Amino acid sequence: MPWLIGVVFPGAQRYLLHILVFTALFASLALSYDLTVGHVGSLSLAHPAFFGIGAYTAALLATQAGWPFLADSGAAMVLAGLVALLIGVPMFRLAEHAFAIGTLGFAMVTHIVATNWVEVTRGPLCVTGIPRPEIAMGAMRLKLTTVPHYYWLALAILALAALLYHGLTTFRLGRAFHAVRDNEVLASSAGIDPRRYRMLAFVIGAGMAGGIGAVYAHYITVLCPEEMTVALTINLLVIVFIGGVGRLRGVVIGAVLFTVLPEILRIAPTWRLVIYGALLLAIVIKWPDGLESAFHRTPRLRRGGA
Amino acid sequence: MEDLVEQVVHGLTLGSMYAMVATGLALMFGVVRLINFAHGEFFMLGAYAFWFSFSVLGLPYAVAVVLAAATMAGVGVIYERTIIRAILDRSWHVQLIATLATSIVLTNLAIIVFGAQAKEVPTRLSSTVLQIGQLRIAWHRLLVLGSALVIFAALHWFVRRTKMGKAMRAMSQNREACTVVGIDVQRVARATFALSALLAGAAAALVTPLFNIYPDMGALLTIKAFAAVVVGGFGSVPGAIAASFIIGVSESLAAGYVAYAYKDAIAFVIMIAVLLWRPHGLFGRRIGI
Amino acid sequence: MAFFEIHGLVKRFLGVTAVDHVDLTVERGELVALIGPNGSGKTTLFNCVTGFMPVDAGRVMFRGSDVTSAAPHRITRLGVGRTFQLVSVFPRLTVLENLLVFLQQHQEDNVVGRLFRTRRLRRFEAEALDRAHSMLERVELTRHADALAGTLSYGQRKLLAFVAALMPDPDLILLDEPAAAVNPTMINQMKQHILALNAQGKTVLLVEHNMDVVMDVAQRVVVLDHGQKIAEGPPEAIRRDPQVIEAYFGR
Repeated sequence: MPWLIGVVFPGAQRYLLHILVFTALFASLALSYDLTVGHVGSLSLAHPAFFGIGAYTAALLATQAGWPFLADSGAAMVLAGLVALLIGVPMFRLAEHAFAIGTLGFAMVTHIVATNWVEVTRGPLCVTGIPRPEIAMGAMRLKLTTVPHYYWLALAILALAALLYHGLTTFRLGRAFHAVRDNEVLASSAGIDPRRYRMLAFVIGAGMAGGIGAVYAHYITVLCPEEMTVALTINLLVIVFIGGVGRLRGVVIGAVLFTVLPEILRIAPTWRLVIYGALLLAIVIKWPDGLESAFHRTPRLRRGGA
Repeated sequence: MEDLVEQVVHGLTLGSMYAMVATGLALMFGVVRLINFAHGEFFMLGAYAFWFSFSVLGLPYAVAVVLAAATMAGVGVIYERTIIRAILDRSWHVQLIATLATSIVLTNLAIIVFGAQAKEVPTRLSSTVLQIGQLRIAWHRLLVLGSALVIFAALHWFVRRTKMGKAMRAMSQNREACTVVGIDVQRVARATFALSALLAGAAAALVTPLFNIYPDMGALLTIKAFAAVVVGGFGSVPGAIAASFIIGVSESLAAGYVAYAYKDAIAFVIMIAVLLWRPHGLFGRRIGI
Repeated sequence: MAFFEIHGLVKRFLGVTAVDHVDLTVERGELVALIGPNGSGKTTLFNCVTGFMPVDAGRVMFRGSDVTSAAPHRITRLGVGRTFQLVSVFPRLTVLENLLVFLQQHQEDNVVGRLFRTRRLRRFEAEALDRAHSMLERVELTRHADALAGTLSYGQRKLLAFVAALMPDPDLILLDEPAAAVNPTMINQMKQHILALNAQGKTVLLVEHNMDVVMDVAQRVVVLDHGQKIAEGPPEAIRRDPQVIEAYFGR
């Protein structure tokens, strides 16, 4: 693909690959988010926090302690997952709205800490000079310094995320998740512990987000607190809802539309969030199952079915 | 000592602002069971409406306050007629995402229209100070506190004595029964949104001379007001008001004595602590306004 | 030691005592009906013994072990199945999946292991599929196997919920108003299903409003009024009990 792009658009290869890197990373992040939102039905608004915790962990370990890429991204995943576990214990005691508000509050506190804990995060001055990854396997050293290299790495990350997502959301585990999402009371009468399954999706999703945050930090090389604001939640909601909540293909298509369309249409950055917001509003009102459902008419569920 | 009194007065001013915003949220949740994530943006729009009337048009302060509040009541009605009507019977997921999306649209439109720079709107009262010994308090803070008291008294009278207020209370207790006895549910919902937005607009116009205004000030305020609603027991207006003052004073004391940078985190810390300790809020679960 | 015992169960809501010191014993293989006027505490009693509501006092024993206020999923896994008064199916799962999900937790609950489709898991899944298909045949839903459960009619959902609760082959089954709000044909069908279940040796405790169903199927009837047990005995005796007549008609 990079080679093909190089031939077809010789002047724009770097730029196009850069967009594709973003597409792949956003798609992976959206998949990790959809585990909680689409499959166990908990509307968490804390995802930017886990992404940010992962990104900062990796950035600081790499710049301050000189950790290699694989080690710092591993630490990022573990730390994000652990924080999700800790925050999940109180949060999952809350129902519906309160869970959403509680997780949003947590995300805002994380952002406030990242902005103000200047001694560690450098606050608004940002963490700079994050090195591009270097992976050492035995005697072989793989340096991922150029955009095409990163394109392959991002694609591999997306493949991994998709594989994990598929494994988690189909077959017996997926069925248990969906039972919890559809009717928590009935699920427990089927022998499922709803809190345990919700927590599982939440923690794995957070760990994935942490890892993706690490990869992202190494790509952009400068990490600022703005990367983890509520705007990221909006972006993820747009992606997940455009394509179709709870569907692998839908989420990936959503990410492609979300990252590629604005580039093609050359939308000014200030207008972007206005358009995303309006789009999200239109989608949830008109096609709550995603745009895909606007084309296939599936039989409507009867009301009061749960 | 004077320092402590000053911090408490600052906290009470903040509390008044949170309480007016939280009251709107609690009213909306109480009457139509909807959480409006765009409520902080109503406050933000109210602040710009005030800025426009006061600084641009040069109207007298009192007129500008009334104009800002009235404008917001109109915005509340439009909001109910367009977005709320489309989502009122939908699942809470859809409602939450739709109002969150509205908040993002409004914030970014405000950035485009008014610019991202903060604006200051000082008045004569905000720049003159009441001095008693070492104690210094801006007159405007006292105006805010006094006005808040008057507004809450008026609100109390409204929900207890007027026909519309009684209908709102009835709806917060049993919506099905209201349709049966012939209350126009949609009209009550519209009035609730108008009233809630009016309160946000009034709060904004009152406190704007004390703080800077900027387009993305709404999000944090929404969440803090929610924290107050949650702490006060979902949907209870008196609970939300009490919790707002607790949060305002704690925040001000934390800013003065602990760490200024982390003052914005106080509301969430209180909220999470209360939720763990008493999941239905400090004052128990009494849905009712 | 009885098969299923409730001792002095108490449940209060904001000062109202919904269940007031109720004792109830069910022997293995019995078919017992729990009746009473609206608001007499039948469903609350069900919710307490299946772990959906914490009890304020009393004990619940199942096969000799104390299950008082245990988590619902734990009680289910001990072999207690239940249905709900308002029909409960998973609307966005297919009919077949609705059945499978009720059995899988009893076969294994290894969350991490489920990421990998081991031979053991595939065998469990095949067994579950076999059982699910036989259940579908039993209630004539086979041709809807792949439809989303939310698209079924009310009566069909009721049947689905009934056989779903039977998937793990529970020893005790609690049915909450299985004949409520369905047509007469369906009521008859339901009666046959319940009797067949009992004939297989299953212990059944049933909450029901429809007196015909109760009189036709139950071996023993327990009557609740205002949260208290006011009568207990064979159906014919209950029908003539003055206290029961008073509770139902005397107000």
